[in-house]
Amino acid sequence: MAAQRDIVIIGGGHNALVAAFYLAKKGLKPLTLERREIVGGAAITEEFFPGFRCSTLAHAGGPPLLSILQDMQLARHGLQKLESPVRIFAPTPEGRSLTIYTDTHASAGEIKAFSTKDAEKYPEFAAGLARAAAIAAELLVLTPPVIEKPSAEDIWKLLKVGKKVRGLGKKEMMRLIRWGPMAAADFVAEFFENDLLRAVIAARGIFGAALGPWSAGSTALLLLRAAADPYPVGNSAQPRGGMGALTAAMASAAKEAGAEIRTGAEVAQILVKNGAVNGIALASGEEITAKAVVSGADPRRTFLGLVDPVHLPPSFVVKMQHYRSQGTVAKMNIALDALPSFTALKNSNSDPANHLAGRIHVGPGIDYLERAFDHSKYGEFSTAPYLDIMIPTLTDPSLAPSGKHVMSVYMQFAPYQLKNTDWTKQREPLASTILQTLAQYAPDLPGKMLAHQLLTPLDLENIYGLSGGHPFHGELALDQIFTMRPLLNWARYSTPVKNLFLCGSGTHPGNGLTGASGQNAAREILRSLRK
Amino acid sequence: MPKRYDAIVIGGGHNGLVNAAYLARAGKKVLCLERRYVLGGAAVTEEIVPGFKFSVFSYVVSLLRPEIIRDLDLPRHGLEILPLDGTFTPLPSGDYLWRVNDHGKTRREIERHSKLDAEAYEEFGKSMVQMCRFVKPILGMIPPDPTSLDPRDLKKLIFLGKRFQSLSSEDRYNLVQLMTMSAADFLDQWFETDCLKATMSASGIIGTFLGIRSPGTAYVLLHHYMGEIDGAFRSWGFSRGGTGGISNAIGSAARELGVEIRTEAPVAKILVKDGVAGGVVLENGEEIHASVVSSSVDPRLTFLNFIDSRELPGDFLDEVRLYKFRGSSGKVNLALDALPEFEALPGFGRHLRGAMSISPSMDYMERAYDQAKYGEFSRRPYIDMVIPTLTDPSVAPPGKHILSCFVQYAPYKLASGTWDEQREAFGNTVINTIAEYAPNIKNIIVGKQFITPLDIERTTGLSEGNIFQGELSLEQLFFLRPAAGWAKYRTPIKRLYMCGSATHPGGGIMGAPGRLAALEILKDVGRS
Repeated sequence: MAAQRDIVIIGGGHNALVAAFYLAKKGLKPLTLERREIVGGAAITEEFFPGFRCSTLAHAGGPPLLSILQDMQLARHGLQKLESPVRIFAPTPEGRSLTIYTDTHASAGEIKAFSTKDAEKYPEFAAGLARAAAIAAELLVLTPPVIEKPSAEDIWKLLKVGKKVRGLGKKEMMRLIRWGPMAAADFVAEFFENDLLRAVIAARGIFGAALGPWSAGSTALLLLRAAADPYPVGNSAQPRGGMGALTAAMASAAKEAGAEIRTGAEVAQILVKNGAVNGIALASGEEITAKAVVSGADPRRTFLGLVDPVHLPPSFVVKMQHYRSQGTVAKMNIALDALPSFTALKNSNSDPANHLAGRIHVGPGIDYLERAFDHSKYGEFSTAPYLDIMIPTLTDPSLAPSGKHVMSVYMQFAPYQLKNTDWTKQREPLASTILQTLAQYAPDLPGKMLAHQLLTPLDLENIYGLSGGHPFHGELALDQIFTMRPLLNWARYSTPVKNLFLCGSGTHPGNGLTGASGQNAAREILRSLRK
Repeated sequence: MPKRYDAIVIGGGHNGLVNAAYLARAGKKVLCLERRYVLGGAAVTEEIVPGFKFSVFSYVVSLLRPEIIRDLDLPRHGLEILPLDGTFTPLPSGDYLWRVNDHGKTRREIERHSKLDAEAYEEFGKSMVQMCRFVKPILGMIPPDPTSLDPRDLKKLIFLGKRFQSLSSEDRYNLVQLMTMSAADFLDQWFETDCLKATMSASGIIGTFLGIRSPGTAYVLLHHYMGEIDGAFRSWGFSRGGTGGISNAIGSAARELGVEIRTEAPVAKILVKDGVAGGVVLENGEEIHASVVSSSVDPRLTFLNFIDSRELPGDFLDEVRLYKFRGSSGKVNLALDALPEFEALPGFGRHLRGAMSISPSMDYMERAYDQAKYGEFSRRPYIDMVIPTLTDPSVAPPGKHILSCFVQYAPYKLASGTWDEQREAFGNTVINTIAEYAPNIKNIIVGKQFITPLDIERTTGLSEGNIFQGELSLEQLFFLRPAAGWAKYRTPIKRLYMCGSATHPGGGIMGAPGRLAALEILKDVGRS
């Protein structure tokens, strides 16, 4: 006789863990099932070479919503945030470099070396972006309204945001409306003249997406990210022990709250009985009946993989087949015998760590980024890729033997679908493209490399269960965000199957490691279970 | 003592003329000033090669608003639209795709390529008509200001909300996608045949500096679907006597209504005193006074050239400077002494009477865009061709023909060299591209005209040669066109109005901006 649970959560990623915590807090006994031997989904720390550990996938981040940090008391559960004053170090092939700090004026000082005009503009830009981000942040924690017939509550909440928007003043408000659909390249050009600075800021609008800086809508993604972290460029904070430490703390908080977590438990099917969810079946054949099932897996895997289509409206299935979730990123983790020396820092008399302890941006110009994107449109990976790099061991030496280092490299663009070939054949070419690109900026790097781990989009799908290898469970494009994430009319965490819910990044807001999707989902799930 | 008018309209393009006509219709004394010797702006017919009357720029018509045709009684003034039959897409493989204005035929033709697509094509057409029905009233609407609490604005927003909710769930889904997606992604959901998607997606990029994979192009696709002739959506046609025929008909209607039209009267300045417009100064120094000035030329000319910047608020000027033009298309007009013959479909059949589209694949279209992004004209461009002489022989000597080719991409800003240096290369690239499908083209050319974005700017005054007076990108539409807070045809200067394609609902020979602006002007100054 099969065990009976009140709620089963599929997947042990950060959003699933956040959802588990909030559901347990309300007295439910959620059972979280993780396919792999470790929880964390895309936010994990793994040993990829004897003695060398790193955040195998997500390497910077989030940050989690403040409310989540507090509610889950993650600090008490062992989360220790390591911050570096450096956010981004951007070298150029000519051996120059731009460093952006969390501190606006320090950054402006650096920018001066490239453009006095831009240096003067930067603080104004940072402030304006922060104001816009504050509004967008309101939307992150909002359950998207039903645009068919918004409830009084939906309207009230939107009005509250609207009121804040009005607080911006007409001009800024119109700016915000105008910015969203714009190309990030146009957005940054409205403020800055220097191509390197433009590229560093615009990159936030294309990271992890099938967009180039000239793609309309890339500004919306940039703003979505600024909403979670209101600075001109991305965050470089990391937990001590890597991203796995974040999800470990979340897991511990969830358990303490009363959630049960089983690893090595792959869900093979979501069981549905006359229109309502009835439980799940594990790959092992074991069946677990439950009153409700929450899927932290991406929408395509959930609806095209785990649910028998006969239980779904045909038009829903068709739309889900059109839900775009083909990844464009590859990841390389490198074990280094010593810190590589960047040509751009040769003549700097300050400790290299002062520049390298944040993220390292390889993508010296808007056109460089756009050309990198162009390849992916035709099913090829970029020959001169955009790289987002971290050397976590500079802030957290515990990840590698003393004196040694780890380098974590995100590579774009590597389309999931290759033309006339496949990823089993293209691993080596991709690896050497990444290493050659790195060597252009740090010539001694190949010599210091002890080992490397390469994750192609296909690996992202096979190892981490991300459909199409998409790190964000589906494109964050204008037509797949907010009330349209994952689908129009299905943006409120419920699904066509009664008591089957979504809580992953494939739901609003679905960006990075904020955990907002899990928190919003838990709220809606509790509401509908109470009914 | 100089003559005084109620209104001066700057520019004798179709919108300027429509605007003038509607003002005169309300009893105003109107003067319309055109820089060139010929009326029409980008909608002109000119005899470039002796005996051959080219529709130099705009070459097909579809979007002209029916209410304007009615109100101004344009048929009586000589407007005659001759239908354009279908679209023929020759393929490098030697095959072709030929869609005609005949459901059965088109269906069978598409079936040759894909049974599924033939099915989907019907459905697609139906739902696009639904979308057009939804958007149509918006074309006739003064854009509401979403940031204001003015009841009139709120009423419009509620009206839109209600209409949206009245759509079926499927239509709502399609509409939201149309407003946010790329033409390629949108069409990928419907069809599998590459050349069908490529040719259809072309309507999504015309006049924009976007590729078929750029979000926002699905809307432009719809914008071009909106064309109506005799109430039938998605039908395109020629104007008898060339596109200039439309402008002449509107011009004649305007004159009959009492509009005084002066050609070769280039405006140099708009007279502004204490924040109020009072007339214009011509390049020859002549001052003409009026209680209202309505400018149909684009915002860059209007606000940066014709007006002293000290008369305008700084943040408004910033908005005008940020407004994107980015001309991306050129034109090649050829005088032929015989018809081109396509290898894919030899002979001179009906396929030559429609549009012929060089858009063999999605990648072809996207690669054409990629080159433009980096400041080069496409070495393998998208070309939309028509032979007006097969429908309207009057525009060429007996037995001779005209091939009118719209070409994309031709970026206004070149990475190297100037358009004057590259004009020949550009034109020859177009001819060579056509020759790959119709090899005889090179032997039948008796006259040619290569038009680059720079030429469009020089001749018509359209900044950066943008045929729509500014990109039809999402951030430049509806209440954001041309500038946030200035979408109601008014400007920071009292008694100065905008009535060109740079205002809602934008480009194409539609006339809607001219009409809507006139209605707003009359609201302010009252009818006489």
